[in-house]
Amino acid sequence: MTKQEQVKAIFIEEAGEIIEKLDVDIIRFEENAGNFDLLNEIFRGVHTLKGNANAFGFTRLGEFVHHFEDVLDHYRSTKEEIETHHLELIVSSVDVIKEVMVCELDALPDLPNEYEGCLEGIKSLIASKKGYPSSFETQDSIGSFSDLASEFGLECPEQYENGMLQSIEMMRTAHQAGMQIYRIELTLDSDAYKRGFDHLIFIGLLAEKALSIESFFPLESVPTLENFAEDTNHITKMGIILLTTQALSEVEENFEFLFDHEYSIKPIESSPEPVAVPKREVVVPKTQSAPKASPGSDTSSLNTASKSTIRIDTFKLDELFDSVGELVIAQNFIAQNEKIRLIEDESISRTIETLSKITKRIQDRVMSLRMVAIRDTFDKMKRVVRDTSKKTGKELHLNVLGEETEIDKTMIDSLSDPLIHIIRNAIDHGLEADAQERLNVGKKVEGTITLRAYHKSGSIVISVSDDGRGINKEKVLQKAIERGVITGDENLSDSQIFGLILQPGFSTADTISDLSGRGVGLDVVKTSIEKLRGKIEIESREGEGTTLSMVLPLTLAIIDGMLVQTAGEIYIIPTLSVVESFRPEQEIVHVIKGQGEFVSMRGQHIPIIRLSDVFTLTTDRIEPWEGILVCVETEAGRIAIMVDELVGRQQVVIKPLGKSLAKLREISGGAILGSGDIALILNVDELRPMIEAPHAGN
Amino acid sequence: MEFDGDALTIDLSMSKEEIKEFEAFVRPRIDYIDRIEIVDGGILKSSALLALLMSLKKTRRELIIPFLEKGVTVSPAYGTIHWICHDKTRTS
Repeated sequence: MTKQEQVKAIFIEEAGEIIEKLDVDIIRFEENAGNFDLLNEIFRGVHTLKGNANAFGFTRLGEFVHHFEDVLDHYRSTKEEIETHHLELIVSSVDVIKEVMVCELDALPDLPNEYEGCLEGIKSLIASKKGYPSSFETQDSIGSFSDLASEFGLECPEQYENGMLQSIEMMRTAHQAGMQIYRIELTLDSDAYKRGFDHLIFIGLLAEKALSIESFFPLESVPTLENFAEDTNHITKMGIILLTTQALSEVEENFEFLFDHEYSIKPIESSPEPVAVPKREVVVPKTQSAPKASPGSDTSSLNTASKSTIRIDTFKLDELFDSVGELVIAQNFIAQNEKIRLIEDESISRTIETLSKITKRIQDRVMSLRMVAIRDTFDKMKRVVRDTSKKTGKELHLNVLGEETEIDKTMIDSLSDPLIHIIRNAIDHGLEADAQERLNVGKKVEGTITLRAYHKSGSIVISVSDDGRGINKEKVLQKAIERGVITGDENLSDSQIFGLILQPGFSTADTISDLSGRGVGLDVVKTSIEKLRGKIEIESREGEGTTLSMVLPLTLAIIDGMLVQTAGEIYIIPTLSVVESFRPEQEIVHVIKGQGEFVSMRGQHIPIIRLSDVFTLTTDRIEPWEGILVCVETEAGRIAIMVDELVGRQQVVIKPLGKSLAKLREISGGAILGSGDIALILNVDELRPMIEAPHAGN
Repeated sequence: MEFDGDALTIDLSMSKEEIKEFEAFVRPRIDYIDRIEIVDGGILKSSALLALLMSLKKTRRELIIPFLEKGVTVSPAYGTIHWICHDKTRTS
């Protein structure tokens, strides 16, 4: 990738982030249309987006955003109350911006159908607000335009400075080693044209070796025709922000046709890391005075804004994490090494202890780098709730709890789609069909959807609850039998019955909407969550509502496992699946002819799976009551894994398996234990009972 | 340059000499021109044209010049150029 392509990729990524934030903020603003601080924030994002769009020739996006910005600017300046239909137009405009961005990125010739209509809508809105057909026609008389000079004196420099600062900030985000940002300001004499100077020729020269260049022309000094002369330079001031790999002396070569007093060029301090994130904070609101350019102070405000965060390639983070995993293994090896333990030296023991503490601290800190609050994902869901509510015509209130809960960044990225589907499903099918149905059962007209994230037993739970009609178990069973998912002879628990709605092609919805009900969604949700080594739990009470919970591990890189031993080998069972472990009484172990061994627990016959059989391990065959049964929850229901003994519980760093072992479906990964031994992590969903055990009582 | 009724269509890629001719043409007709449009595909070649368009706008505020109102132009040769030709709000 060339540097220019890299710069473009960064700009595109940023534009995507701005749009994503816009999508969230606009809904927050819709909820509280009097929050002009938020409107200011939205405006600044849109302004930056316009710059980004235009900088890379996304003119269709640029034009739309330009007019949209006018609308926002009007409301933020006047603090005028926004009428409901205009608010709707503003929210729709964000949708158009999202779609146009996709068209621009994919270089699609056709724009979304809503583009023209929405653009006309915002143009008409701004025209009606200002009472003129174009943005220039605001004055009462021709003469009054020139009377604006004093007003220009206040506003133009501020805009000029804001524009320059934002441009610097954009360049800073693209800055990489070997690049330099320059702030160039020209104060030209009126005879510049006569000396062969032209602003555009000059910019063209700089642009030849620029990675990015942005220039600003304040036109307040241009006179009316009466005083205009084509050979006189009326644009006396100009600012340029240049991103280049050229040294100062090389850039200065372009200035040889100008007098010394006509230009200034200042290298802008770059951020310490390749990319500094915050830029929106840099834009100076109109109500504040813009920072003035003075020697040595060009970037002071920018430095303040950019010091807090840096952007790091997740690949590097993963590498760091892997290295820390190795460090933990090495540290465990030292701590558990018998030979080292035998050395009776206090200083060595203390050093090992200190090493252990430091390693743990490093591990925790590196882990925390991957963790991000789930707030942003929840914020995005507000839009989903709003849109689904409008589409279904159901009044509802959204409760959001536990937004601060942190979750692995990798998982966050994969959570949006399942969450969207679950929320849509909850609104579309969970809540009662209409207000009357709710009133009939004594509920408020307004339904409630609760989105919650919390920690539970070392896992993260993200749940979506509705206070709707709940799941009709009979109806689910009937559908499952109709579709051959079950035979009807099974003795299913409530959770197993609810789990049926997660089966492919299963839907109890009487009608199919474009939101949900096709039965092609929840099974995909289930698959997505299982890919994250999580599971879905459903609780429901008929007439009261349903809660669908996604139970996820804290991170994808470390697993909390129960270490078990069988035939001298150590295996790891993910504790997320473990229900209980016990040594069974002989009386509760049974053999059913043709079906194998079972253990009876609370009226349920749970198949026993001998781990030694699964992996064909050579061992003395013992009876189930002589070993330990670890009862785990799987896709197909509970199973009891028979092992020789429990070793303990431990967090292990997951290591991928080699090609040959990867084919074994019963294993999902490997881990290196503190002793240096390798243990395999069981994929409990793939463990199947061995038919007919030769021994077993009763 | 085309003059159709009250709308004038010009090419952005004017040389200094062509800008001079354009100025000479438009000066006596400023009161009869309602709109100045730009031919697609042209690239601004001289800042003098930008200054002239701004001057025309300041001279006759009813004149509609969509290009000027955009406040920004982008080209591979010059990067992004913003101009600030403000009324009460802003155009860039």
